[in-house]
Amino acid sequence: MRACLIAIMLHAIFLLLVCQLTGEAIHRLTGLPLPGAVIGMVLLLAWLALVPRERPTLTAVSAWLTAHLAVMFVPAAVGLVDEGAALSLYGVGLVVATVTSTLLTLVVTALVFRWSLARHAPEAPE
Amino acid sequence: MLATPLLWLTATLGVFTLFDVISRRCNRHPLCHPVLWSTPVLIAALLATGTSYETYRTATFPLSFLLGPAVVGLAVPIWAERRRIRRLAVPIMLALGAGAVTSIVSAVSVLALFGAPLEMLATIAPRATTTPVAMAIAGQLGGIPALAAVIVLFAGVVGAMVATPLLDLLGVRDYRARGFATGVAAHGIGAARAFQVDATAGALASLGMALNAVATAALLSVMALLI
Repeated sequence: MRACLIAIMLHAIFLLLVCQLTGEAIHRLTGLPLPGAVIGMVLLLAWLALVPRERPTLTAVSAWLTAHLAVMFVPAAVGLVDEGAALSLYGVGLVVATVTSTLLTLVVTALVFRWSLARHAPEAPE
Repeated sequence: MLATPLLWLTATLGVFTLFDVISRRCNRHPLCHPVLWSTPVLIAALLATGTSYETYRTATFPLSFLLGPAVVGLAVPIWAERRRIRRLAVPIMLALGAGAVTSIVSAVSVLALFGAPLEMLATIAPRATTTPVAMAIAGQLGGIPALAAVIVLFAGVVGAMVATPLLDLLGVRDYRARGFATGVAAHGIGAARAFQVDATAGALASLGMALNAVATAALLSVMALLI
């Protein structure tokens, strides 16, 4: 039973890696400027649509990965240690641009969604 | 000892776990985000021990490697939400397009006002996407992935903190609109905040985050080809 569970888990991990690898290959071979992992995400979506069935293990594995995303990008964030020059030159600009862009995006997305909801989607209670 | 993967991998997990416990104690307040606090502590540790970033990066590769499969796995929640996506297809697509364009154009143009070079503009352009995607896009466009990671984190904290008061001010009461906007503007940190407020808002925020990763990547790829 336990060995079987591990085999299913390996299958889910294999599926994720195959999608990423294929995405990476497509990215390199065709020069498609999307990151390999993003192409892999689209490929997995296509796979789920083509072969629809219950996938509790894949759901569990990807939920585990998503839940631990934060710790995975700590190594990248620590790379700031080498970016002191860029930060001292453009730190203020980066902060102002990031805050402005975040607020504007919130406002525009919410307003367009509400406008379109009223116009295109008749009352559809959740 | 200082050069073995074991030390820095252990240190990273240890420091992160500590701040994760503190973050939980703070009821997951955006300002208590564990990455926000682990990063400066680990940077201080590198500086104190005279360790180069190259050494640290190599040592912690097993952690960063997982980002790729994690991005691929974002397909699973999108697939799980397919019925809702079909039902709300028009509002979702219109709001996603408007949000993705607003995010890129406003971030890049404001930063350009500060006289920043192309390298910096490429770094901030994907700021609304989830961190691993932003790092990949920034790297691809000739930006700085490490800086992109921190900008994204900061954007998430800002978005999560202002979403509720700002959307109240606008009078947007529908939790679908509120959640979706929070996910598009502030990715996973925004989604985490949305889940605290309302389950529907949380689901739409996750959806907004996942869709915006694809939308921003696609938009920036097209823009990069045109320029």
